Parts: sequence; C-alpha cells; structure tokens
Amino acid sequence: MTAALQMSDVRYRYPDAERPALDGVDLEVAEGELILLLGESGCGKSTLLRALLGLVPHFHGGELSGRVVSEGLDTREHRPGAVARRVGLVFQDPESQLVMRRVDHEVAFGLENLGCPAGEIAARTEHALLAAGAAHLAGRETGTLSGGEQQRVAIASVLAMGQRTLLLDEPTSQLDPAAAEELLGLVRRLNRDRGITVIVAEHRTARIFEEADRVIAMEAGRITVDAPPEQAAELLAGPAPWLLPPVTQAFVAAHRPERPLTVREARRLTSRRAPGGGGAVPAPVLRLEDVDRSHGDVQALRRATTGVAAARVTAVVGANGAGKTTLAQVATGLVQPDAGRVTGPPVRGYVSQNPAHHAIRQSVADEVAYALENLGVPADARGRRVTEELERFGLAELADRHPADLSSGERQRLAVASVTVMRPEVLFLDEPTRGIDGLRKLAVAELVRSLAAKGCAVGVVTHDLDFAGEVADDVTTMARGMVLADRQPASQLAADGLFACQLGLALGCRSVAEAAAMLRGEVEAFHV
Amino acid sequence: MRPLPVGLLCAALVCGSVLLDNPLSIAACALVATGLLAASPPPRGAYVWFAVGSALLVFLVNPFVGVQGLTPIWTGPHIPVLDTEITQEELAFGAAAAMRLLGSSFAIAAFVRLADGDRVLAAVARVAPRSAMIAALASRLLPTLERDAAGLALAARARAARLDRRRPAAALAAPLIGLSLERSLSLAEAMEARGYGSGPRTRTPGGRLPGWERTLLVLAAALAAVVAVAAPSDDYRYYDLLDDPFTPAAIATAGAILVLGAAAIVTVRQIRRRA
Repeated sequence: MTAALQMSDVRYRYPDAERPALDGVDLEVAEGELILLLGESGCGKSTLLRALLGLVPHFHGGELSGRVVSEGLDTREHRPGAVARRVGLVFQDPESQLVMRRVDHEVAFGLENLGCPAGEIAARTEHALLAAGAAHLAGRETGTLSGGEQQRVAIASVLAMGQRTLLLDEPTSQLDPAAAEELLGLVRRLNRDRGITVIVAEHRTARIFEEADRVIAMEAGRITVDAPPEQAAELLAGPAPWLLPPVTQAFVAAHRPERPLTVREARRLTSRRAPGGGGAVPAPVLRLEDVDRSHGDVQALRRATTGVAAARVTAVVGANGAGKTTLAQVATGLVQPDAGRVTGPPVRGYVSQNPAHHAIRQSVADEVAYALENLGVPADARGRRVTEELERFGLAELADRHPADLSSGERQRLAVASVTVMRPEVLFLDEPTRGIDGLRKLAVAELVRSLAAKGCAVGVVTHDLDFAGEVADDVTTMARGMVLADRQPASQLAADGLFACQLGLALGCRSVAEAAAMLRGEVEAFHV
Repeated sequence: MRPLPVGLLCAALVCGSVLLDNPLSIAACALVATGLLAASPPPRGAYVWFAVGSALLVFLVNPFVGVQGLTPIWTGPHIPVLDTEITQEELAFGAAAAMRLLGSSFAIAAFVRLADGDRVLAAVARVAPRSAMIAALASRLLPTLERDAAGLALAARARAARLDRRRPAAALAAPLIGLSLERSLSLAEAMEARGYGSGPRTRTPGGRLPGWERTLLVLAAALAAVVAVAAPSDDYRYYDLLDDPFTPAAIATAGAILVLGAAAIVTVRQIRRRA
C-alpha cells in the first residue's frame, strides 16, 4: 500500500517558543487508513496536522527540520495552497473557518480558489453537501447554523475540493453526544466507503477508539504510542489512562487485565448492575419557578422549574440549544426572565463557557481582583482575598503573568477564581470541559467537587455526560427550553436512557471510580 | 436575492430621492423605500434609528442655518451665528432634505438586507478581488465580533461590573480587539488551508434569474426610467416662496413611483416567501 502521508524526523519550533512543538516525529500513513491522534492539550497534535498541510512553517513561521510529504508533495517545496488540492484540514472551531455568508457559496469557495472549471462548481458543491449530510443546509446563512451544522459544512467544504486525505482537529469538541456520534459516523463512512485517508485528533475517544486502524499518542511533541487500538489501549493503560475511553479506564482502574474498548465489549465482560437509587435530593437554595425567556423569535426557556441545592453539584444536561446556558444566566441574575420567579441568595456567580471572556486585565492577580473592585471591597481586604483565591486555585506563582500567556487549564482555573473570589453561595459553570483533554477534565471535576465541599451550590451546564457522571450529585435534564426532569439523583446517568453516560450504558455506573469499585467487587466475589 | 434587480431598484430610489425636487416625488421615493425596508429580513432597527435620527437632525437644524424664505412663522431672540427667524420655506426645505436622507438611507439599508452579500462581493471581485475578499471577511467577522463583545460584557457583569459606566465598558475594548485579532488569524489560516491565493480563481456561474426576480428587474428598470425621465423637469422652488407642489407632472411622477414601488415591494415579499 502506498503512503498518503510521511513525516521523517520532523522538528518544529514556533517563533519565540522555548521548546519545540514537534520533536523528532516519524510517521507514515497508508492510503485509506483511519488514524486516531491522542494527547493532552499542547502536546503537538494540532501542530502535526498543520505540518501535514504545510501551514507549519509557511503560515506560522518558525523553524522546521526534517521532511513532510503529503500525498506526494514535499511541504518544503509546496505552499499550503498547493497541498490543499490533495489534503484537507478541518479546524477545531468551525465558526472561525467559515468565509462566506451562504452555505453553498462556502462550499464553492475552495473550488473557486483551486480554479475549478466554472461549469463543475455547482455539481461538486451539491455532491459534497450530500456526502456530508448537509444538502438541506444549502441555502442557509452560515451565521445561523448550529455548531454541528457548521462542522458539517466545514467538512463538505473540504470534501468538495476532492482531496484524498482528510485531517480533522477535534471535530466534536463543541458538539453534544448525538451530534458528535453523527459526525463521527460520517467520518467512518467517508473512510470505509470512499477510501479517504483520515486522521482525527480527538479528546472524546469513546466513539472512535475501536474503529481506528491505528491509535497514535503524543507527548511533548513526540509520538509515544503508534499501534492498533487493542495494543494502544494496553500501552496507554499505565502512563496515560485518561486518553482511553471511559469503559477502558474503569477496567484499568480496577486492575482488571481486560481492555474493552466499546460498551458492547464491556457488557460482555461483566454482569451489569442496575444503578442505585441515590437517595433524596435536598431542597434547593436557589429556585426557578415557571420561568420563560425568549431570545428574539426563539423561546429559550419554557416554564422552567428547577433549582440547585447547597453543598451539592447539579449537572444541567441536554443537547446543543436545549436552553441550558439561558437557564444558568437567568439563575445567576445576568438575564431577566420574561415570566416566572427566581429566588435565592444574593451573591451568585457565573463562569462563561469561554475562559477568554474572563481575561480582560493585564495580570492574573488584577483579573481576580476585578470583581472585588467592582463590589467596592477595600484595598487591604481585597489583597487578602485575592491572595487566598490564587493559592486555592494554584495560581499564586502566576500572579504577575498576563492571562493570555496561561495554558488552557490555567485559564480555566483563573476564570473560576475570578468569580469565586466574590464568595458566591451559588455558582454556575457553563460547559467547563469544552475543548479540554481528559487529564484537565479530571482537574476540573476535582475543582467542582471542592467548591461544593465548601458549601457552595454548584450548577454545571454540560453536554458531556461522562463528565456529568463523574462530578454530579443531581441531574437536571433539558430539551427545547423545557426542564424534562428536575434534580434527579445522578445515578440516572447510569440508567439506560436518553441521557446515559458511556459507563452507564456499559456497566450501570456513572463514574470511573464507581465502575472500578464495582469491577473490583466482582473479582473479590469470584475469589470468595 | 441576486444583487442586480434589488440593486437597480434601490439605486433608482436613491437617485429619485436625490435628483427629484418636487416634495411629492421625494415623499413617494421615501415611502417606497420605507416599504421596501419593512419587507426586508431583520435586523433593521439600527438602520431605522440611524436614518430617522439623521433626518430629524437635518429637519431641526435647517431653519436655524438657513436665512431665506419670506413667510416667517416664529422669530426668536438674537443668537450669534444662528438664524432665529423661522420661515415656512425653511421648514419645507428642511422637511424635503430630511425625506431625501430618509429615502436614500432606507433604500441602501434595504439593499444591504436583501441582496446576497456573497454575490455582491463576487461582482465586486471582478474589478477588485482583494478588496472584495477583505469586505467579505469583515462582513463575516462583524457578527462574531458582536458575539464576542456580548460574551465579554456578560462575563464582566458576572463579576459585578457596571457597564453603563464609561470606564468599565471601555476596559473591554482591548480584550475584544485581542479576540478579534485571534479570530482573524484563524480565518486567514483556514483560507490558506482551502487554497486561497494558490493561483487564479474561478467563479461559480450565476445562472438565470428566477421568475420573480425577473419581474423585480422589470419593475426596477421601469422605476429607474420614471426617475430618469422626470428628473430634468421635476423642478420645484422652495425659496423665496414655496411653489404649488400639486402640478399634473408631479402628481403623475409621484403616482408612477408609488405604483411601481408597491408592485416591487409585493414582488420582494413573494421572492422572500419562496426562498
């Protein structure tokens, strides 16, 4: 089989960077292979994909050594525009890559750039939209599309150009489970049915790990694992289990020798248990009653009644567009309801889903002090509280750094600290795991639990059901602006249902720790 | 909607508002432009506020800067520079100027809301490809910038900031610029990844105009013809004394503009309904 992509001893350093982003990468991808690329944020996954297209170094600058050959083109001799005729790259944030206002014009944009004969453009556009399952979006304005629809259009835009290789950089990071499943299904079909070579960089590995021909893991710019899925699971189990699907993580945590990669395999390996009852849910400290709220023509909340209880974590789950964010904003007083009542303590906090929105000052310490300045807290008390908060979130050593210079995990912690410094009795975190890797997700879960342990009523708005299972005491489910179930015990996430996490479907558990304990129990029972 | 028919219609209304002199004709153009904007997709609020505000300003200021007219209706105290003798003619001229501004602004706003931006830019790209691309990107990034600004403001309000005060609001400008620069960079990278600048571009052929858009083109051409024919003879004297506006020629011109304009508005509604 001929190689679609080749990298030989590739080293690359971004301009002004201290350490290389790629450090001696050797890689060969055969035509028609499906590769899953794993690693923590900042390990070099995105840089590797950019290097394969020649964006590194042609667009970003910096120093590149070694050789990258993509579909027969050496990127040292060919600019990305030329490589783009054979290799397509879909970026992480679909919104940032849409150029035109209408969907069909967007898909035609790449064809026009490549000088495709005018008579062929319409047909190829239509064909690509059909292949990406986006034909119904043809006349829509790109600004009105949901995240999932934007991602489909981005894929169609690349498919239209007729490349044989598709590179996808965290394509599901902003999608709910159903949309993510659909998108990865599309990727699988393109690979299996059309023979397109695919490399997918992904944090949410549950749906694609087993489907890949090879799994490649990176760390600090190096490839540390390059093996078929079963073997890769074995190799990653020791050093980086958080890169594995949740079911595999549970077996690793239970010290079981098996490495199931799918729900089906895990079910086969164990006697599945029904989820526990979870006990009574205490009365809420903040309550929304019959709340309505519209944004223009869209009714975001319809007679929503729910709440959050002190010293507990309540996950608010639902698909994209279910009204979760509006619920959190109404609950924290940032948005006024059109109808209904919100009652609760006066100091409530809200952490936006984009940590960059919480970075407006020149230093980390100033950023944390911002809320206290606005509240008129005297300077000496302010200094004390800022220091306490920085220490609590492990940011004390970064106090003088500019927020823009922090890593994604540090930015996330800063965003939370900049709100919790007000000592809110109620705190809502909006999609706190968006675009972060498994290890960072564990850190966020720990942070959320620690806030609740100090008595705060924490609401976590998320479409990441695996994370909700890890962190929540109670679960509120939403769809189309309505609260479907108000504060059910989180064990509901382990039941077979619409909102079940992967561990729930596989093992009847809602978290890796619970599943591991259950699996250990099974082994002990066997030995007794 | 294709830019040609709606562009011709709006251009005719702008020309009518600017070139015609009789208040009846100017009012007819303003009325049609208002109807056309009402038939356009939202949001329209910002355009309406801008046009009405500017028109009101012109109407209110004109009597104090004009020194003509023989029919005084109010004389105020002496204020240096300003003319405090308000005449009927000054008010009429101010009202006509305000209507010209309103008609032109609404017609341009209707074009912005109705014409397919991608096609407009594709047309511009034939003459100035780089400028067209910059305009395309700006038009794509503006809504994103608006969303980022809303996100920053929300996060600041979540931290007890009072954004109705000048300084806290101004503090958001720098991070907003930073975010928009990051987005611009991402977009530029995405364009390069899709072959932009790799060689000569081709264009998606426009295809034939659909039926209702052909009707609109005919109506727009007729309206443009009415304006072109009427403009040289549509004289009207505001100073020193007002003429009688109700001349047969003026009534015919205004009537023709209203009838063709109404038909065009109905056609635009049909096109939007079928889209």
